[in-house]
Amino acid sequence: MSKPVQVRFGGFGGQGIVLSGLLLGRAATFEGKFVAGSNSYGVAARGAACRSEVVISEDPIDFPQVTIPDIVVVMSQRAYDLFSRQVVKGGLIFYDSQFIVPHRQRAMVEVPATEMALRNVEEKRVANVILLSAVVAQTGIVSQGALLRAIDESVKGKFLELNRKAAALGFHWKEEIHER
Amino acid sequence: MGWRRIKAPLPPGRYYFSGNEAVAEGAIAAGCRFYGGYPITPSSETMERMAHRLGQIGGVFVQMEDELSSIAAVIGASWAGAKAMTATSGPGLSLMMENIGYAAFTETPCIIVDIQRAGPATGQATRVGSGDIMQAKWGSHGDYQIIALSPWSVQEMYDGTIRAFNFAERYRVPTFVLGDEAVGHLRETLEIKPWVRVFDRKKSRGRPPFDSKNPRQIPPMPTFGEGENLLVTGSTHDGHGIRRTDDPKVHSRLVRRLNDKILLNQQDIVDTEEFFIEDAVVTVLCYGFTARSTLTAVKELRERGHKVGFMRLKTLWPFPHERVGQLSQGVEKIFVPEMNRGQVAGEAMKSSRCEVVSFCQTNGEIIRPEVIRQEVMRVL
Repeated sequence: MSKPVQVRFGGFGGQGIVLSGLLLGRAATFEGKFVAGSNSYGVAARGAACRSEVVISEDPIDFPQVTIPDIVVVMSQRAYDLFSRQVVKGGLIFYDSQFIVPHRQRAMVEVPATEMALRNVEEKRVANVILLSAVVAQTGIVSQGALLRAIDESVKGKFLELNRKAAALGFHWKEEIHER
Repeated sequence: MGWRRIKAPLPPGRYYFSGNEAVAEGAIAAGCRFYGGYPITPSSETMERMAHRLGQIGGVFVQMEDELSSIAAVIGASWAGAKAMTATSGPGLSLMMENIGYAAFTETPCIIVDIQRAGPATGQATRVGSGDIMQAKWGSHGDYQIIALSPWSVQEMYDGTIRAFNFAERYRVPTFVLGDEAVGHLRETLEIKPWVRVFDRKKSRGRPPFDSKNPRQIPPMPTFGEGENLLVTGSTHDGHGIRRTDDPKVHSRLVRRLNDKILLNQQDIVDTEEFFIEDAVVTVLCYGFTARSTLTAVKELRERGHKVGFMRLKTLWPFPHERVGQLSQGVEKIFVPEMNRGQVAGEAMKSSRCEVVSFCQTNGEIIRPEVIRQEVMRVL
C-alpha cells in the first residue's frame, strides 16, 4: 500500500480555498484515485479564516481527514502562521507572496499568484487557480489534464475561460519557480 | 410490486460528492419523487440537491413552513403513492417527533435523514455530534419500532439511502438515515453502479391494509384515489382502518404487530461489520463517522501487537443485541467511543456478558484516531 498524499489549503473565505480543494479532489477522482476532502463550513467559509483539505490515495481511505499534510497551500499570513508548523519532513509549503512574509527557510515555494492574476488577467479572484495549478505542475499530484477537466466541470459561465487562463499561467510558472 | 432492478439515474462511474449530496442521489435512485422539508444546518445540501434533481425528473419538491409540516407532507405524499423523504438535524427532528409516531402507527413508509449536530437544543449548529440515537428510537410516545442506519462514508450515504427506502417500503415503517455532520460534509469518491435494486410497496385490492395473520408479514398498502375504501387514522384501528379506541384486544394486537413486524424480521434488517475479532481481548464497538477513526486506531494498535477488535453497527435500530451478546462472550471488554454521553454503550450493556467501557466526547469535534488509540490502551 502506498502512502496517501495529504494536502491542506488555507486562507480567507472568498479567496477560493474551498474551490481549490474541490477542484483537486475532482481531478484526483478522474484519475481513478480514492479521494476524501473536507472544508470549513458556515461563516468561516465566507470571510473569516478558511481551510480545506484533500487526501488522495491509491487505496481506500480509512481516516478521511488530514492528519499531517504533505503539501500546504496558503493565501493568508494567518493560515501560513498556523499551518506552516504542521507539515511532514520533505513536504512543501506553497504560498502567495502577495499576502505572506515567510518566517522559515526550508521547503518554501513562493508563487506570486495574486500578482500574476492582476497582471495577466486583471482579476485577482483566480489567484487560487494559479496557485493550485502551480502546485500541480510542481508536484504532479494530479495531471494537468485532470485539473483542467475538473475546472471545466466545476466552473460555470463567463468564469470558465478566465479560470482556464489562470490554470495555464499556473502550469507555466513551473519553469520560473524558485525554491528558497 | 416488490423487488425490481432498475438502471441507476446517474451514469455509472466514480464521482466526488459530499455525503449530503450522495443522500439525494441515493434517494433519486431508490425512486423518491417527493421531498418536503425545511432547511437546517448541517443537512441543507440534501434539500438543495433534491430541489434541483426533482425538478429535472418531474418529482415534487416543497419547502414547508417548518419541520412539523415537513414530515406531515411526507406522510401525505406517501399515502398518495410516492416514495417520500425529508432531511433535517436535531432541532428539526425534535419538531417532527409527533408525526413520526403517527407514521409508525399508520405504517407509512417514509425516510427521515438526520444529519446530527452538537445538541441539545440549537447547540452548535455547524459542529458534529451523535446525540440523536435514542431520540430516533424513542422520541415519540408509545411502543413502536423504527429502522435506523448509520453510514460511515459517502458511499454508504448513497447505498444506505437506497437501502433505507427499500426497508421503508418493504416493512411500511419510518426509516432513519442517522448521519452526522462529519459524514454529511465529507467529500469522497462515490462509485455509482449501473443497476439499483429497489423495493416497491405491495398492493392487494380488498385485503386489510392494517392487519395480517402472520405477524412477520406486512399488510398491503393501498393508495388514495385508486378506488379502495381507505381510512388512515392515528387512533387505534382494526385491519380496515376503522377506529376501535375502546377495544383492548384490537389495541393489543395492533401494538404487538407493529413491534413484531420489525423485531421478527430483524435478521433481514440488522447489519454489522467486524474485523480482527477472532483473538481480540478488547473490541471497539462503533458506528457513524467515529467508526472511521476507530478503524484507523484499531489497525495501528494491531500493528503494535495489541489484540483489539473492530465491530461496526451499520444499522442501529433494531439494535443488534444478539450479535453484541455473541461478541461479548469472546472478549474481556467492549469499548464504545461516541459523540454523545454513552447512548449506544448503554444499549450494548443490555446484551453484553462482559464489561462495557463507554468513552464520551461531546465538544462538537470528531473523536480522532489517536484519542481512541490512547483510550483503548488504558483499558487493555
